Amino acid sequence: MRIWNSLAIGIREIWSHKFRSFLTMLGIILGVAALLATFALVAGMAAGSRETMRQYGGVEKVDVITQEPPAEQQAYAEISPGRTLWDAQAIRDSVAGVANVTPIYEINPGRVNRGSETTTAEVFGVWPEYSPINNHVVEFGRNLSQIDLDEANHVCVIGRNVVDGLWPGRPEYNRVGETVLIGGKPFVVVGVFEFYEREEDKRRRKFGIKPVPFMGSRSGSRRMFDPFFRKNRSVIIPFTTAFHDFKSYKITGANNEVDLGAIHTVDGITIQVADAGALQQTLDEVSEVLRQTHRGIEDFSFNTRLEFLDRIEEQTRNLRLVGGLIAGLSLVVGGIGIMNIMLASITERVREIGVRRAVGAKSRHIFAQILVESAVIGVIGGALGLLASQGLIEIFKSISPAEYDPIVDMKSAALSFAAAVLIGIGSGIYPAWKASRIAPIEALRYG
Amino acid sequence: MALIELTDVVKSYRVGEQEIRALDGVSLEIEAGEYAAVTGPSGSGKSTLMHLLGCLDTPTSGKVVIDGVDVSRASDGMLAEMRSGKIGFVFQAFNLLPKLSVLENVELPLLYAGDGFRRRRKRAFEAIERVGLADRVKNTPLQLSGGQMQRVAVARALVNDPKIVFADEPTGNLDSATGQSILQLFRELNAQGRTIVLVTHDSEIAATAPRQIVIRDGRIASCVEARREAGV
Repeated sequence: MRIWNSLAIGIREIWSHKFRSFLTMLGIILGVAALLATFALVAGMAAGSRETMRQYGGVEKVDVITQEPPAEQQAYAEISPGRTLWDAQAIRDSVAGVANVTPIYEINPGRVNRGSETTTAEVFGVWPEYSPINNHVVEFGRNLSQIDLDEANHVCVIGRNVVDGLWPGRPEYNRVGETVLIGGKPFVVVGVFEFYEREEDKRRRKFGIKPVPFMGSRSGSRRMFDPFFRKNRSVIIPFTTAFHDFKSYKITGANNEVDLGAIHTVDGITIQVADAGALQQTLDEVSEVLRQTHRGIEDFSFNTRLEFLDRIEEQTRNLRLVGGLIAGLSLVVGGIGIMNIMLASITERVREIGVRRAVGAKSRHIFAQILVESAVIGVIGGALGLLASQGLIEIFKSISPAEYDPIVDMKSAALSFAAAVLIGIGSGIYPAWKASRIAPIEALRYG
Repeated sequence: MALIELTDVVKSYRVGEQEIRALDGVSLEIEAGEYAAVTGPSGSGKSTLMHLLGCLDTPTSGKVVIDGVDVSRASDGMLAEMRSGKIGFVFQAFNLLPKLSVLENVELPLLYAGDGFRRRRKRAFEAIERVGLADRVKNTPLQLSGGQMQRVAVARALVNDPKIVFADEPTGNLDSATGQSILQLFRELNAQGRTIVLVTHDSEIAATAPRQIVIRDGRIASCVEARREAGV
């Protein structure tokens, strides 16, 4: 007997008990829907996390950090100048795989004033490339320029929280042309960054839902919960201006002594690699350059976002596993339902099985018939489950519109469907085996 | 060589501690083209005999040879192949599948024999025509009368062109006039050369067959060979 004959018999049997078959399928339908919806929610959350990371510069962004030189170099480690402007220039000029690089001066304390208003910001002296490296987007005005750098102009680009702090209670963010004081020196605002926020906060705002109030003191907790808190407080000024105004000397001690400090020792260097796939290779080249500029002293290292990315992937994996396990359990329950119904239906159809055997069906034909029947329930249930999952996702979205958009990918859909089919087949094996073992004369005598 | 040969066949069942000998040393030959009635009171072992002849079961000991094939120790699959290729059954309770149409019921043996769709349809339709129900192919069994249902069952038994047709009390659920028409159908089939084995407890019905094999307590009590003319 050919397979489509078995199929036809199975489908006919299911169709002739439409309601019963539907109830049987319901377990599978709900199981698949739950499984796929879980996968979609997790995928949505993972995408949200990745988006947050991308807005911080993605895996392409790498910080050059300092580290203790190895023990054998410590005796003469002072021959290294440390991280300097020359490092940034050398990297820019000689590593092809680096798309952008910037040296960074941190201006501390990052106090910005306008009239009587004061706000605390993260003030950096940087090259204009700082903005693309950190995925900064200028909403009003312009970014810093090479001319600003060459002429050490007193200009700045400020974040939205800084605007909030300096112009409290006034919902106007285009402050280009205004003058603010940074560390007591006047700077003209030439640009304002756009407001950065998490996807769900953006959605909350879109749907008019109040942001979840952060618990505890504003400054402490907000920082913890909002990954964009610091980014929105950014103020950038030209690297050269920062050098002249804040870094070329330091007034120390009680007698206001002037300390000229180390020329062009920077507080940070951030690079952006052109191709994240060639990250390690590019960093190896950067190392070569830095070994030259640091006179062979290994007092530098790199801080990549790979670990962060790994953590996102790991969390996603765990969530998928846990969620999939729970949803998978409901699928197993559905499978038990199928097995139960199949066993009952065999008892009901002992005579039919006897007749089929009498007219020439082999036990494997009976086995195939029952198995196909439960497999078809699995297939149809799985297909309906895929549709139902869309409904489930819609329900979820309407309950909680601000959460990450669930993402249904083909792989998850295929996986959920395959699970349903496997459960269908798996739960049919025992009933099918039992049916195939019924002796024809027993079956004919029955009833 | 006879179409059906039984030698010293014993079939026993265990019911709890007790061993029941349903058949106790039966030897029998049925030639191709015969019309034989197996008869005896209920519990005599005639149904057991038909199960063995019909390859639905195997004997405890002894030898059963059907059409040259020894099925005494045959596997389950082998028995199924014998039933599929050489044997047709007609039952007292018709045993049609209520969810299938007449045509599909008759097709069933061909389905398991591996015939393709077109060939199945054609042969099934011919068999239904043969029993005179060509206008009811689309009906389901429950829309038919008892006599019609039994005709469908006969068509199903004939559809794979078996060597032997076994009929187990085929008239038991029918009124006598309808029963007579079914018996007439069997006589016609026999006249066309098909071997018919009729199992019945009713001696009157058995008397319509040229040869009567009487079973009593698991043994052949008598074997009446009527002259062929007498039966027809």
